[in-house]
Amino acid sequence: MAENPANRPILVDLQDVHLSFGAVEVLKGIDLTVAKGDAVSIIGPSGSGKSTILRCINGLAQPQAGRITVAGIRVDALRSEAERIALRKRIGVVFQQYNLFPHLTVLENITLAPVRILKVPRAEAERHARDLLARVRLADKVSAYPSALSGGQQQRVAIARALAMRPELVLFDEVTSALDPEMVGEVLAVIRELVREGLTSILVTHEMRFAEEISDTIAFTENGRIVAQAPPAELFYRSDNPRIRQFIGGFQGFRDAVQDREGI
Amino acid sequence: MIDAALQRFIAGAAALGLHYDFLLSGGEVRSWLAGMAMTLLLVVLAIPLSLLAGTAFAAALTSGRPWLAGPVRAYVELTRNTPTLVQLMFAFFALNMLLSRALGGAAHNPFSPVFWVVAVTGLHVAAFHAEALRGGIEAVPAPLVEAAQATGFSGLEILRYVTLPLALRTALPALVNNLVNLVKLTTIGSAVAVNEVTYASIMIWTQRDNVLELMIVILLFFGLINLTVSRIGRAVERRLAVPGYGVGYGV
Repeated sequence: MAENPANRPILVDLQDVHLSFGAVEVLKGIDLTVAKGDAVSIIGPSGSGKSTILRCINGLAQPQAGRITVAGIRVDALRSEAERIALRKRIGVVFQQYNLFPHLTVLENITLAPVRILKVPRAEAERHARDLLARVRLADKVSAYPSALSGGQQQRVAIARALAMRPELVLFDEVTSALDPEMVGEVLAVIRELVREGLTSILVTHEMRFAEEISDTIAFTENGRIVAQAPPAELFYRSDNPRIRQFIGGFQGFRDAVQDREGI
Repeated sequence: MIDAALQRFIAGAAALGLHYDFLLSGGEVRSWLAGMAMTLLLVVLAIPLSLLAGTAFAAALTSGRPWLAGPVRAYVELTRNTPTLVQLMFAFFALNMLLSRALGGAAHNPFSPVFWVVAVTGLHVAAFHAEALRGGIEAVPAPLVEAAQATGFSGLEILRYVTLPLALRTALPALVNNLVNLVKLTTIGSAVAVNEVTYASIMIWTQRDNVLELMIVILLFFGLINLTVSRIGRAVERRLAVPGYGVGYGV
């Protein structure tokens, strides 16, 4: 809350969120605040609960304790399917595995939810879909099926599909982790543009450079807790937490090694 | 013209030792053709019934609601594991009689033997459809269902727009198999005196001792119907084919 210099309204607020799957305690008291228009990246080692945080925000996972407020809705208090649907309509999600509907064309993938859920007239939904496809630079793939697209193209369609619902918040869940290295750039370019236009977003990512570049805030998770939450410059270069230094240093070293090998 | 062709056919068949001269007797031929028409009617009614009921059963089985899935599961097991002929006898002689009694006599009972044959065969095959579709629904990758949930689709909408269309594509060969069986199953109508093609044929051969001749025609008749059913199935498969998912692509 303290770090909200622009004094923009808070869109997402997690307070002391605890979640266990059976005996396994996945989240051990998560606090996270996202202001409207902010891009927040969640980084940290695998299994530290990053994706579970996203699933709590749109009600796909139900925490045992804590408060989750999204756009004024108390997500942790939602009990009926109808209430959760009302919430999910407002939150877009982009997944690691794209999860496009394989039996629908690119255009149908993007228009299905606006037409069926929001009852947008088909012609209007298609116009919007074509605009979005142009933005993700896939205007020529309107009638292609997902299996005919590369991973990077599928992921860009998935981003357009999420935006078609005109969400107030988009969750990006390791969206480049399944991609060939050469396709990562095209997907990140699209996200960068959206964030610059003011899309409120929470990104779980392993792309450290990208997170540093686009995020207003970075949250570092470890072992079910957010151990630090700070602007990128602070967290990447001025953190005195040895675990964070080690984690980020690992990526840094890896990158330097790659760059050495490629002669960059 | 037609008469002449018929005469030639009967003479030619007679030369092979097959006696089709009943074709010249007006009454028997009429009832025989009526039998063929009845078989086609049973097929045309029972196929859509089986598909609709099978889809509903599959939806119930995969609903995750025990009060819905439980009874349907019990029905599916019961109907799959007992002879259809016995089911028809039970429906017609027991259920139908109880209904008649409740309605104040057979004259007030609107349910005909044809109704019971369509209902029993259609709902019997629906149990097999339900299992095939259930398999297809459960084969849809969980992350895909989760993506639909995250978008804001309700359970029923996910079934209608995502899982069922995908399940249909994987289950189609099994569904067509079930329909081919359904066509053959309509012959049990003869047990409750529905004048379908086998019943009509039995009526003729008990008078004329031409079993072989009529059997040949019955076999060809069912062969032709099922060839048509299979062809339509293949055409639907091709039409629904999606690159990289289910069957029918690249054939």
